[in-house]
Amino acid sequence: MVCNYIASLFRRNSIYVATIFGGAFAFQAFFNYGVTSWYENHNKGKLWKDVKGKFVEGADSEDDE
Amino acid sequence: MFSRAATPFVQKVVAGSAAVTGLTASYLLYKDSLSAQAMTAAEHGLHPPAYGWSHNGMFETFDHASIRRGFQVYREVCASCHSLDRIAWRNLVGVSHTASEAKEMCEELEYDDEPDDEGLPRKRPGKLADYIPGPYENEEAARAGNQGALPPDLSLIVKARHGGCDYIFSLLTGYPEEPPAGVVLPPGTNYNPYFPGGAIAMGRVLFDDLVEYEDGTPATTSQMAKDVTTFLNWTAEPEHDERKRWGLKALIVVSSLYLVSIWVKRYKWAAVKARKFRFDPPKKN
Amino acid sequence: MLAFRSLKTNSLKTSIRALSSTSLRLSNNYEHPDFSHYVNNKSETHNRNISYFMVGSLGLLSAAGAKSTVEAFLSSMSASADVLAMAKVEVKLSAIPEGKNVVVKWQGKPVFIRHRTPEEIEEANDVDISSLRDPQTDSARVLKPEWLVMLGICTHLGCVPIGEAGDFGGWFCPCHGSHYDISGRIRRGPAPLNLEIPQYEFSDEETLLVG
Repeated sequence: MVCNYIASLFRRNSIYVATIFGGAFAFQAFFNYGVTSWYENHNKGKLWKDVKGKFVEGADSEDDE
Repeated sequence: MFSRAATPFVQKVVAGSAAVTGLTASYLLYKDSLSAQAMTAAEHGLHPPAYGWSHNGMFETFDHASIRRGFQVYREVCASCHSLDRIAWRNLVGVSHTASEAKEMCEELEYDDEPDDEGLPRKRPGKLADYIPGPYENEEAARAGNQGALPPDLSLIVKARHGGCDYIFSLLTGYPEEPPAGVVLPPGTNYNPYFPGGAIAMGRVLFDDLVEYEDGTPATTSQMAKDVTTFLNWTAEPEHDERKRWGLKALIVVSSLYLVSIWVKRYKWAAVKARKFRFDPPKKN
Repeated sequence: MLAFRSLKTNSLKTSIRALSSTSLRLSNNYEHPDFSHYVNNKSETHNRNISYFMVGSLGLLSAAGAKSTVEAFLSSMSASADVLAMAKVEVKLSAIPEGKNVVVKWQGKPVFIRHRTPEEIEEANDVDISSLRDPQTDSARVLKPEWLVMLGICTHLGCVPIGEAGDFGGWFCPCHGSHYDISGRIRRGPAPLNLEIPQYEFSDEETLLVG
């Protein structure tokens, strides 16, 4: 069961602490992705990447800095 | 003799003069408030209405199409008098223009280069790292070109004026055909009710179809005012979109931390809070 | 309170027991407060898992927040956008004819760019590497053999060498007489090393990007 699976992480303190710190890294990447995609979806049509095509012919991908 | 604090006489003098000063100040303020000009819209400028900017709200970004149109308005209209000192061409990249477009625009301009081998000044085409040049060499030239009035730099103007975007938009669109009856304007000024004092050196500059937008948006006065205001809001807060994204992240993380920490606090305190004491008073005998 | 009372009424032995242990049941007929209201009926494992999970998520969120904070401080130490924008120099190569030197300023330092002729490339490759003070093949010093790009700072004491001069057809430092060849390698004089090669790339056929 999932519950037992999670509970096994609590059994040893070293594993518990390692999970917390490893989870912090994973969480940050996941959270960043999630928030950004919600934010960009919420503001769809206003962002530069959405309106670029209206102004630039064949929107090229050299838009870096 | 003054070392032993104030004598009763000195105390009376200090208290008396404080009272006189306070009463005089109150009286002068009261007198001032009776005049027709004091604390009125004419003195402080008409309060602009609150407009529904598309970037109002906690999680709303700028409308980047509007920023691009606003830059066009700035370039074709405002730039003849107003500078934009804090914005470099590279800032436009990824916001309202592509790198090649920005490069094309700055290469049309000439900037000072390092002196050549003989020490003579040289010119070079602009680079993305260069800042957008102003219309005047220095402040004196700007004043001389505008009958003594200095057109302010527009980089931070939205932050620098009460009312922000609403004020800028109202000012640009708020020039009446004729000043109201009885208003006497100093020479060289125009009437604008939103400008504190009512007499502004800048005349009305936005008229319908003054510019031609590349995306076909009808260039009405209010459309141009809206676009250039959005653009100026961006120049004042180029970090705006990123800031709101960070704000969203911070809100989520901090509020969950708050809730979880309340749970953990209750958990830690449960043994203490759930403790009960029972006291049986000793029987008297 | 209990102890106080027992000192007065009961024997000394009971009072010591009452003091020494809180979980002690004093007597069978003692009335306990009602704790049933607080009792959680879930299993002990379940409760423990929930506790660990909540404490763990508190730690996880704090760690993520701390990481972001540290990252923000560290990134404030790196070069700002205006410095980074100045850190690169673009050079249009079409403006440099074959056999000509061009000096551009990059981060305040002179950069020598030479459009080498085929003879010069051949000459640079013909040198016996083992005879050099700072042995380096010509191919290790260029990305494209016709374009030689290097920092124009003498490795001896930092003068700027003169182009198309010296005994080896390359550069000559007027300060202490170091001679560099057509690949910018030190051949004679006090300088210990070859002219330094900056980081550069050809962003397209016509453009050189130094930095």
